[in-house]
Amino acid sequence: MGERDGIPISIDELNKMKAIAERARKNVIKMQFYDQSVHVGSSLSSIDILTVLLFRYIRDSQDKINKDWLILSKGHAAPALYSVLHEKGLIKEDELWKIQSIDGLLQGHPEIFIPGVDMSTGSLGQGLSFGIGVATGIKMAGGSGRVFVMMGDGEQDEGEIWEAMTHAIARKLDNLIAFIEINGYQLDDSTSNVKPKEFLEEVWRAVGWRTFSCDGHDILSIINAVEEAQKAKKPAVIFAKTLRGKGFTPIENSKKQRATPDVTREFLFSS
Amino acid sequence: MLRGSFSSAREAFGKTLTKLGEDDKNIIVITADVGDSSRASYFKEKHPDRYFNVGISEQDMVNFAAGLATVGKKPVVVDFAMFAMRAWEQIRNTIARMNVNVKIMVTHSGYSDSGDGSSHQALEDIALMRVLPNMTVVVPADAAEVERSLPEVLKLQGPLYYRIGRDYSPPITSSMDYNFQIGKATVLREGDDIAIMGAGVLLWDALKAAEELEKMGISAAVINVSTIKPIDEQAIEYYARKTGRIVTVEEHSIYGGIGSAISEVVVKKYPVPMRFLGATGYGRSARSQRDLLDYFGLTPKSIESLVLELIR
Repeated sequence: MGERDGIPISIDELNKMKAIAERARKNVIKMQFYDQSVHVGSSLSSIDILTVLLFRYIRDSQDKINKDWLILSKGHAAPALYSVLHEKGLIKEDELWKIQSIDGLLQGHPEIFIPGVDMSTGSLGQGLSFGIGVATGIKMAGGSGRVFVMMGDGEQDEGEIWEAMTHAIARKLDNLIAFIEINGYQLDDSTSNVKPKEFLEEVWRAVGWRTFSCDGHDILSIINAVEEAQKAKKPAVIFAKTLRGKGFTPIENSKKQRATPDVTREFLFSS
Repeated sequence: MLRGSFSSAREAFGKTLTKLGEDDKNIIVITADVGDSSRASYFKEKHPDRYFNVGISEQDMVNFAAGLATVGKKPVVVDFAMFAMRAWEQIRNTIARMNVNVKIMVTHSGYSDSGDGSSHQALEDIALMRVLPNMTVVVPADAAEVERSLPEVLKLQGPLYYRIGRDYSPPITSSMDYNFQIGKATVLREGDDIAIMGAGVLLWDALKAAEELEKMGISAAVINVSTIKPIDEQAIEYYARKTGRIVTVEEHSIYGGIGSAISEVVVKKYPVPMRFLGATGYGRSARSQRDLLDYFGLTPKSIESLVLELIR
């Protein structure tokens, strides 16, 4: 268990976390000035959940079986992860602006040589299986570590998700919490136009997972869901309703990943 | 060489792996529902708490193994060669890219799954594995070399692809005495006029061919290149210089496989004429692996013809 698990959040802590998420959000939006290909929309969808996990739940340590693991299976939200890791002091500010450049540390998708990254991802659908491996290894060794896996709704199209979803139940894991962000968009189109996904929660529940839901942009709602998920005693999945591009009005709730530098500049000056 | 009896590669594999599991409690065996066919289930009998059948889920199996390795376990993924390839991208993007300590050990490679036909016959896997950065690729010649090499390859830290067949395992190294070393080729037979190089069961055909060639006054060396990657450049260059001609043999496609790997060294170090014997298409069903090898012309006779082509 993390130190603050189960402890009610104070107004101070809540405000602090909100401020962190806002700063991280601004930094993701700013990245567009430096690189015109980062996935801003997908990142803004994940930023509040990542903030809660990294600032309230994740215990980092060199001790692999007694630390908590954060696996960003939707690796294209890397800018959000980097911005929150910057708030943690693990990534320097100038590295944020060098994202994806030839002399920079930060890759387009997470790599384990980047501080704070637990799995190299980028190809969708692989994080949950890896997380099951980590969680199983921790239990075999009697460790206290927990595994958090962040997935997207588009990612649920992958066949490996089914393989992993059913596997986690067979392993009887109680140290695994998955997030599925429901932001309603995937690369080409809205998720409902590509493949309807309304049935997802029902499927995960039918397979044997404890399912929870939250507002993925409301810090309190996210915390409540994690607290409940931890009591599940079996694999738990939290369906988090989010908005693609949350907080960046020029692209909010659309399939757009980014805006032009002019639009971005105007937005940042006026906000 | 050529002494000893026919035995089973998978039997040797299952038994040796189970024995090694007694000393190393970190070894975990994971399979995608082919535990009995691969003989991985021998491990289950002795070490049930360290054996996982994840079901018919190859992609999940590979990433699951990567997760276990990341927290210090030594996972051995056991599958049919063909179906491990279903998870090539997971092997590429997680195991090899993160350079984690996962051993991928496959049975039923080449034509060894004779009855099941072309869907089950892996003739492309060496090419797919050796292209991956951080990946070591080992193809033991026979059951005896499985017993000899398995303890060594499990000592390696990092990703490894280990390829064996099923029950057809003609005696190639069983009468020999040597220590298996990753990256080191072994000489099965000395010779001056031609070097026949390769890995796996066809080395038996190579030795048969060498005996026939001797009767014609041609002295053929036969080299077991059991580590495809990192390949023994020194041995390949030595025999290229010594014999001036090379024939490669493999139960795998000649495009991108063992012959290709050897030729990459030859053109760089000491170019000599070469011929390649192996598969060029898909397999088919047959009652035995030997029937398939004969059907596709992977025989001592074919090797002799290629040798004569280079010598005349």
